[in-house]
Amino acid sequence: MTIVIIGNPNVGKSLVLNRLTGSNFIVSNYPGTSLEISEATLKLPNHEIKIIDTPGVYSIFTMGQDQQVIKDLLQKEKPELILNVLDATNLERNLLLSFELKELGIPMIVLVNQIDRARRSGMQIQRDRLENILGAPVVFFSALTGEGLMELMQMLEKNIDETAWPSSIESFFEQGKKPECVFQCRECSIGSESCLSSEDFRRAEMARYTAQLVEHKQSETQRYWIDKAEKLLDRPLTGTILLLALVFLGFYILLKFIELSEGPISALLNPLNLIIENFVANLLPPGIVNTVLSKAIPEGLIIPFTIIMPAMLMVSFLMAILEDSGFLPRYSVALERVGRLFGVSGQAVIPLSLGFGCRTPAVLATRLMPTIAERFIVITILSIVIPCAATIGVMAAVISTFHASLMVLVITMLTVLMVLGFIISHLMPREEVFVYELPPLRIPTNKNVLKKVRLRFAGFFTEVLPLLLVMNIIIRALMESGFFKLFHSMEGFTRALFGIPADAFVAVLVTMFQRYLAPLVLLNINLTPREATIAIAMISLSLPCLPVMVMTVREIGFKGLIKILIIGFITSFIVGAALNIILPG
Amino acid sequence: MYLKDMQTGQRGLVVRINKGHAAERRLFEIGLVPGASVEVVSRHPFHGPLLLQVGNTRIAVGQRIAEAVEVEMKSSTGNTP
Ligand SMILES: Nc1nc2c(ncn2[C@@H]2O[C@H](COP(=O)(O)OP(=O)(O)O)[C@@H](O)[C@H]2O)c(=O)[nH]1
Ligand SMILES: [Mg+2]
Repeated sequence: MTIVIIGNPNVGKSLVLNRLTGSNFIVSNYPGTSLEISEATLKLPNHEIKIIDTPGVYSIFTMGQDQQVIKDLLQKEKPELILNVLDATNLERNLLLSFELKELGIPMIVLVNQIDRARRSGMQIQRDRLENILGAPVVFFSALTGEGLMELMQMLEKNIDETAWPSSIESFFEQGKKPECVFQCRECSIGSESCLSSEDFRRAEMARYTAQLVEHKQSETQRYWIDKAEKLLDRPLTGTILLLALVFLGFYILLKFIELSEGPISALLNPLNLIIENFVANLLPPGIVNTVLSKAIPEGLIIPFTIIMPAMLMVSFLMAILEDSGFLPRYSVALERVGRLFGVSGQAVIPLSLGFGCRTPAVLATRLMPTIAERFIVITILSIVIPCAATIGVMAAVISTFHASLMVLVITMLTVLMVLGFIISHLMPREEVFVYELPPLRIPTNKNVLKKVRLRFAGFFTEVLPLLLVMNIIIRALMESGFFKLFHSMEGFTRALFGIPADAFVAVLVTMFQRYLAPLVLLNINLTPREATIAIAMISLSLPCLPVMVMTVREIGFKGLIKILIIGFITSFIVGAALNIILPG
Repeated sequence: MYLKDMQTGQRGLVVRINKGHAAERRLFEIGLVPGASVEVVSRHPFHGPLLLQVGNTRIAVGQRIAEAVEVEMKSSTGNTP
């Protein structure tokens, strides 16, 4: 048997799936978290049920990407049951979708989720009335506390009998294929393209009426401190100040954490490195391989462990808090006007700030953007300007070794952000339609935060560390073999154009493909602060790393990636040349 | 009058949305339909977004939308546009 979960964005669909099946899908507190289909199996005593989670939608009759995903899924899986998940505190809007789903004719269970929050705010819902109006069983549920789980399981156990696939659903699949609807919008039984039909209005009316009928405010809503915080945050002045202060605090914590953890980590690492060095040196016969490996392995562990690891750990933690508390979308509102300068709406804040953690999932999150043009702008800015946790670690390493100028670097990045955003946005057609639902503020649960930190941080051991180690060995070998000396003939050229030695230029080229290799190459050459500043600026503002490229192709196609790569190359070279002219020698 | 003319704390009924089918549909989905009651929770300065309370949902809309949503003030506390 197959069940499909359908519901509005951010009502708790993924958490319901996790609760039911014990799986571990990502849960966050803002609309647009689950952009892909995930499925898991529920094992009941006598049978197994496949449960599929879908992207949140407000209406299945809108013609959009997410609706198409659901349509395809229904057609392919032919589920026996739809599990319609609602947010109990927001019945009126949620019921619209329930009435739409009812028309498909597939048997349905209505799960009134977040019942804990509804109760907390003094709201009561009349279950039998709701069941009568909807003509479907209703279960009160809390994915957070587990309330209603047993009841739902029992209901599923009973609901197993195979029902015939309804014929009424065919018109839903045909939706959008009837061109006449475009011209007689209001008369169509199902709205086509994106217009509203009289049926849409009827269902909205039903939803409003039903919500009024079944909801009862039991007591005057108690104001909890979190509601008060929400009020403060949603005021323009106090809100903006608070949000900016939080960003500042976040960066402060991040830098302090890296600074404080470096000492203890080095103290642990140094003796270990000595052991490794001796071990390798004794293991292999003397020669070039021996020299390379005995130097490269210990050396290759220092930067990842002392800088990149703490940076990734802290950034993952801060991002998890940001996502689960409901702060993230509030930044979109506060920064909406700033975003408009770049031709993107406020939603861009979400993928851009996710990019500080890791840019690969951030590219996926650009699906939140309302138009393709805006997606391209945001992916470009992400790829070229936004430093991910690993990049931040790298930058920190180079800056502290060569006393490069952090200020020049920050100003350069901001300038590039402005200029790039301005140029791309004026090349793109745009229409500003900013509509976004703000989630309620919530206290992040330890469990979810820990899960996210673990998930994001796993990349350090599986991806960052092995890659850095291997590359460090290769680069060491190239240096010992004198390969890099071949580039010395370019010295005149690179000095004149960018003011950096040929060695550093090679580093720039290498790191264009994998940013966090930068220090490995750079730290082995002698650079003045000026040279280091230019080199690290060129590196920080260049091409996206390989995983991001792969994701970009998946999301906006090969052509989009090529455009971004060209823009990246040009940006990096212009930055180098410009800094060489501007910075005093 | 339009949404953009409403002050913080004022309530109104949505009358019409003059912004084409796509925007109309998006607003419909999120609960901003003709007949719905909305309250302006806050307005960001310099033509920034408006925060609205529609039913139990809090939504943010940009200036362009605020200019397109026609509203009727609710049995008001004596304000003339
Ligand atoms: N209090 C409470 N919070 C919930 C409940 N279900 C989900 N949430 C929270 O609602 C937010 C959205 O959950 P998620 O599963 O990502 O929603 P989805 O977008 O519908 O998949 C998360 O912050 C959850 O912790 C619930 O029953 N009670
Ligand atoms: Mg989800």
